Amino acid sequence: MNSPVGLAAFLLVVLATAVIGFYGLRISRTTGDFYVASRTVPPWWNASAIGGEYLSAASFLGVAGLILLSGTDALWFPVGYTAGYLMLLLFVAAPLRRSGAYTIPDFTEARLESTAVRRVTSLVVVAVGWLYIVPQLHGAGLTIRISTGLPSWVGALAVVLVVYLSVAAGGMRSITFVQAFQYWLKLTALAVPVVFVLLHQSGGSAVPAPESVNPTGLPAAGGYQTVSLLVALLFGTLGLPHVLVRFYTNPDGRSARRTTLIVLGLLSVFYLFPTAAGLLGRMYAPGLARDGRSDALVLLLPGELVGGPAGDALSALVVAGAFAAFLSTTSGLVVSLAGVISQDLLGGSVRGFRIAALLAAVVPLAFALATDSLGLAGSVGLVFAFTASTICPVLLLGIWWRGLSDAGAIAGMLTGAVLCGGAMVAGTLLGAGTAPAWLAQPAAWTVPAAFAVMVLVSRATKQRIPGTVTRVMTRLHVPERPLANER
Amino acid sequence: MTRVRVTAPQSAGRRPAGLPPGGSQNRDAAVDSEVGRLYVRSLIRSQLRLAVVVAAGFLLVLAASGLMVALVPDLAGLRLLGVPVNWLLLGAGLYPVIGLAAWLYNRSAARNEARYRDLVDER
Repeated sequence: MNSPVGLAAFLLVVLATAVIGFYGLRISRTTGDFYVASRTVPPWWNASAIGGEYLSAASFLGVAGLILLSGTDALWFPVGYTAGYLMLLLFVAAPLRRSGAYTIPDFTEARLESTAVRRVTSLVVVAVGWLYIVPQLHGAGLTIRISTGLPSWVGALAVVLVVYLSVAAGGMRSITFVQAFQYWLKLTALAVPVVFVLLHQSGGSAVPAPESVNPTGLPAAGGYQTVSLLVALLFGTLGLPHVLVRFYTNPDGRSARRTTLIVLGLLSVFYLFPTAAGLLGRMYAPGLARDGRSDALVLLLPGELVGGPAGDALSALVVAGAFAAFLSTTSGLVVSLAGVISQDLLGGSVRGFRIAALLAAVVPLAFALATDSLGLAGSVGLVFAFTASTICPVLLLGIWWRGLSDAGAIAGMLTGAVLCGGAMVAGTLLGAGTAPAWLAQPAAWTVPAAFAVMVLVSRATKQRIPGTVTRVMTRLHVPERPLANER
Repeated sequence: MTRVRVTAPQSAGRRPAGLPPGGSQNRDAAVDSEVGRLYVRSLIRSQLRLAVVVAAGFLLVLAASGLMVALVPDLAGLRLLGVPVNWLLLGAGLYPVIGLAAWLYNRSAARNEARYRDLVDER
């Protein structure tokens, strides 16, 4: 790829992010503004922002790369990422908004009347956030290397710097505008090149069949792996900290549901394009899979298939979209992590928020610089397995089951964290190819185990169920009065 | 009927953890009587039943599509607009199902809440 063009695309995205971020600075005044944009963001903006934040390196680069590698098996990733939002809508969106809590630890503490639960939840949230930022930075490194020829660390460092500055300067309000902008940028940056390549190729003669092309010779995934992956994706989404914090910016429970519906539409439209890119890659550029550049498929596709100045321009657009993906997901995660870290450790002031934001961004940067990427969609899939085994049970049972006790919540979260974390470590140590399926995709047994422990320990410690449970459950589920009926 | 401006608590970030104080009057009033608590319980139960039914329906469609692609290899040979049908089914066909499930759920959940509100207002 032509390196000045790639560099220019990257700088443009950074500039646009900064401009929108600083424009938002003028609006945010109080601590409340800083954390949740005062809950006055309109549904369309909010939905675009949620979409913008959610579509990470895994969605933008990883999905197409994985489809190139493993064909129809990989189609479950985008479906699972989207259906995860359906589960979030069904079980979590409105009650969580009505809880009035700002972060997941706020919620668990209020629901279970226990600071110990709060601490454990905070630890899990921070672990999830850090784990999730690492693949974003790997993606940034990959993109900068492919598009400009600079070393990988430049990309990771640049993303962390931009995110830290915009988060520390503007807080959530400006982030909302930045995220909303970045959804549309990401969609354009993938849709335009894919449609262009499609039109370009449709003139060609012989069309190879995608099923006859298996560039890696990988065997098809077994039923267990697919089911386990879907468990992770469906139940992992509703525990992601940066996704949840967005719901507090809706004015009430009903608008939280409406926003989620719009998000589902936006995600469905978006995922058609990485899917199409993956299919195109499998048909026309299977060579990319063999030399280990599959995650760069969407970056390289326009250059490989179109070429010339048009190919360069399209590549620049994709690079811009990719950086939008890394920036938006990373900043969403940094905001929510900083919220958790600053409230728990630093007293919740604006200054504490800035220090916490630094902490939230630098730790995963160090980790990303010390490790190599092992496939973006896969590593993000593992993070989903981890949230599904830890935060998902405590949220679902906390919202729907009166019998949850603080001891049960802690025991369940720790069980999930130890089992799933252990499987992730063991799977990594054994290596991607050699780990057995139950270690490579642990969600199918770690999620039920966490739920079971949470329920059983809660049953055994009934006397620890808080006395406020009726009041809190009422608050979660009873609709707010519409403004017009307020007497 | 006068309109009252409802504002979110502004100082919540500085507050120690927990739910913000206050909240809407009628939501707290709901737990002050035995009947009120009963209504809330039945609201929660109906919302949970709705969510589980929609989720189960969607998972059935998901499982059916997965099985179809796995068990009917001929689908890969069939083409619609040049794209193999198994790709079309998993890569594009499931999204409308997700959207439809979400839309149906939103409608019914809002209806459950309206019913609850009517019950409380009658009292």
